[in-house]
Amino acid sequence: MTVRAKPRRPSGSAQHNPGPKGDDLLQVLVENVRDYAIVLLDPDGKVLSWSPAAQRLKGWATDEIIGQSFARFYPEEDIQRGKPQNELKAAGQDGRFEDEGWRVRKDGTRFWANVVITALRDNNGKLRAFGKVTRDLSERKEAEDKIKKQAQEILEMATIPVVQVWEGIVLVPLIGTLDSARTQQLMERLLQHVTDSGSPVAVIDITGVPAIDTQTAQHLIETVSAVRLLGAEVVLTGVRPVIAQTLVHLGVDLSSVATRSSLAAGLRTAMEMLSLAIVPKADKP
Amino acid sequence: MSASSITVVKVRDVLLVAMPSDPDDSVITALQEQAMRSMDQHEAKALILDISAVETLDSFFARTISETAQMVSLMGGRTIIAGMRPAVAVTATQLGLPLKRVETALTVERALDMVSLGKRQGSAR
Repeated sequence: MTVRAKPRRPSGSAQHNPGPKGDDLLQVLVENVRDYAIVLLDPDGKVLSWSPAAQRLKGWATDEIIGQSFARFYPEEDIQRGKPQNELKAAGQDGRFEDEGWRVRKDGTRFWANVVITALRDNNGKLRAFGKVTRDLSERKEAEDKIKKQAQEILEMATIPVVQVWEGIVLVPLIGTLDSARTQQLMERLLQHVTDSGSPVAVIDITGVPAIDTQTAQHLIETVSAVRLLGAEVVLTGVRPVIAQTLVHLGVDLSSVATRSSLAAGLRTAMEMLSLAIVPKADKP
Repeated sequence: MSASSITVVKVRDVLLVAMPSDPDDSVITALQEQAMRSMDQHEAKALILDISAVETLDSFFARTISETAQMVSLMGGRTIIAGMRPAVAVTATQLGLPLKRVETALTVERALDMVSLGKRQGSAR
């Protein structure tokens, strides 16, 4: 090889010439590295040569691809937007260009790639070629997408669960901070559930709410009012000491709502409202 | 719509009114008049408004219900609105519609239970 990366070094520097032995080893490395596809492009983007890993990744035979434009590695829509040429231009200007995106194989299948294009200049600063190093990140991308999707699902599912805990009693365990969007969602889902199931009592448990402010309290009061308009009652449970303190200091009046410290106490209150009671079995020895 | 579109049904000591889905102002005014007349005639214990068909509750409707409830209360009865739709409840809460002296029930059946048991439940604020 006659070209070297990173031009504009003072000529005469010896560090770039580690001797024939080093060059041979470098060649062995290029040929044997499996995780990176290394492609050498001429200044117009035509393939000069490539490593065996590149052939494995992209699928063309070496003599099929030599002399072809590297645009063939890009999806059709990217070619139309002129992406390959823009990337070369950017690499030519800045010396280096990095991108992550879809690339295509010979058979048309796509893979998610991390691509680094490096401009290779000779000692006079003249552009001689581009080095293109491609890494197949499809697996990582797949895993990332899967995690993202699952996280989204969990978020949607767990945001506001409405649980029918007893005939006539629905429970909403709230977890996490309550903002306006969530409260709106809470209100809609709770009201719908109360109507659909014909449950006269709704228990809202705020054990999992880390902190409460005036606005949150206001949202809760609104929810309670709306549930009452339907003809159902609300019991607010899980009012921890710190929450109770905050509410009193904020001057929030929750006296119109039945509040209980624990969910168990709340359920008992809900049962009382329905004239139900849990009693020990009479025939217990 | 004419005033006759509102029918107040007397069942034992309870007056029952089913509201149409989109009551206009004249219907709402007629509701109040007829409800008061029936209260006077029958000395009913309660007025139950079935609003399960109502899709929009405006401030005039809300105020009239509230007023009627106060009048009914002065005549010794109670007013229960039954079957409010979730969307209506959300709007009513957000607009802060006045529904004083009005009790609520999930269904007409539960409203009847409330009357017969003499139980107070679900008063709207």
